[in-house]
Amino acid sequence: MNDLYIIITACLVAINCAIVGSFLVMRKMVMIGDAISHAVLPGIFFAYLLSGSTSSLPILIGAAASGIFATILIEWFTQKARLQSDASIGVSYTLLFAIGIILISKFGENADIDQQCVLYGELEYVWLWLVPIGNHFFIPQQTLILLSLTLIIITGVMIGFKGLFITTFDPNFAISTGVAIGFWHYFLMGGVSLTTVVSFESVGAILVVAFLSGPPAIAYLLTENLKKMIILSCFFGILCAIIGFYTAKLFDVSIAGAISTIIGLVFTVVFIISTQKKSKIDVISY
Amino acid sequence: MTDPIIEAHNLTVLYGRKPAIWNVDFKLPEKQVIGIMGPNGSGKSTLLKTIMGIIPPSTGYTKVYNQELDRVRDKISYVPQRQEIDWDFPASVWDIVAMGRFHKRGLFKRLTSEDNDIISDSLQKVNMLGYAKRQISQLSGGQQQRIFLARAIAQQGDLFLMDEPFAGVDIATEEMIIALLKEMKSQGKTLIIVHHDLHTAQSYFDHLVLMNTRLVACGKIADVFTDQVLTDTYGGKLTTISKISQELENKEFPIRHK
Repeated sequence: MNDLYIIITACLVAINCAIVGSFLVMRKMVMIGDAISHAVLPGIFFAYLLSGSTSSLPILIGAAASGIFATILIEWFTQKARLQSDASIGVSYTLLFAIGIILISKFGENADIDQQCVLYGELEYVWLWLVPIGNHFFIPQQTLILLSLTLIIITGVMIGFKGLFITTFDPNFAISTGVAIGFWHYFLMGGVSLTTVVSFESVGAILVVAFLSGPPAIAYLLTENLKKMIILSCFFGILCAIIGFYTAKLFDVSIAGAISTIIGLVFTVVFIISTQKKSKIDVISY
Repeated sequence: MTDPIIEAHNLTVLYGRKPAIWNVDFKLPEKQVIGIMGPNGSGKSTLLKTIMGIIPPSTGYTKVYNQELDRVRDKISYVPQRQEIDWDFPASVWDIVAMGRFHKRGLFKRLTSEDNDIISDSLQKVNMLGYAKRQISQLSGGQQQRIFLARAIAQQGDLFLMDEPFAGVDIATEEMIIALLKEMKSQGKTLIIVHHDLHTAQSYFDHLVLMNTRLVACGKIADVFTDQVLTDTYGGKLTTISKISQELENKEFPIRHK
């Protein structure tokens, strides 16, 4: 049963990350997920300071607020300072992460924040915090939060698909037809921020970035339709999560580490297969 | 001039501290094919983007149909530069042209069968209907330009702003686009085109804006396409200009390219 909890949790993270990650990959801003997962630190600290507790909800809100603040900062550096977007991501999140580290190490001795946990997550222990559903059925708290987020993200993307599509493909054309691209940017960033914040608590920052970039990148190699790309990247995310879990069990290693490694390996294999296929097509067409 | 379709007043656009457009004033007439020409980096694309509200002006304003842009967006179709887009994007030709209908239908509603008919017609007009399901990564430069044009047609505007539609396209596409522009003009549409090739300017355009950060000239092609104005616009690039002015002297030769 514990294994099942872990697998379900990992799969939900995979689905959330695959959906928002597909848009991030096409917008060339995947590393914003990495940025958010580090930039949440000051938010967590202030939430802890204000609420005086380490319970999930205030921390989650603080972290999400901090994540969205990071995206605003990044956008501001890019737009106003005309900095390259990767440079503004680098500047913003290292700044926020460093502030968080200083605050916590100076004032947060009692805070329940573990650096190890931030990087690698605690997927192995999700089953420790169970909440009852009905009388006989229990589900880990983390899984329940992730499941609600999955529903929110799927609904959001289904309703906002056209807006996200047009602003991702051709933002200038979108503006010319009167689309508020700022709204759609923060619509996506809100989703990314929530996904990252909720996910990294259970799987750690590294696996979040692996899930955000890997499965969409694999799907991108295989399809040329955005909707199919999103569905395929969910599929590959789930596949890698399951294979990764059993690999970790087999070799008795970190689950997050094993899943990240599997994602990398699957990408390599798919990349080699797809380049061989494409080179055949190229030979025929020229 | 009766009813200017586009008016720019004291328009200055800065990139950081560097001006891209400096204190430009002009009025453009309706129902004409209008060229915007000038050397590289002279602010032509920036001018279109400012008119479409993509880049905010630093001072001054532009008006379209003598109104604020937001009130007349339905009437305007903008064709961005082809190179600005990632053509490896996972989408089909149909997906791209369908974007031309998003605004009319709203982003949260499904496209109707009427929209689908309009998308088909637009693709038909640029001879790309057979490519509707083709992935955009498999298109040639000319085909990419055609589907951008189809998307603009699908918007069903009266005013078309096109950013270098002839850059890097094959002869067949260029001739097709020109035929299409003439047809659209005869239907009373206004076409504003950023263009590079001085040799074809006289045969393509009725009206011309020549700029080099500042406005050099704006008027009927016969009045502004002169040796003096071209030298003022292009400055040092004398070889091209002397060629053109030679052609201008030999008026008996049509300026059209072959």
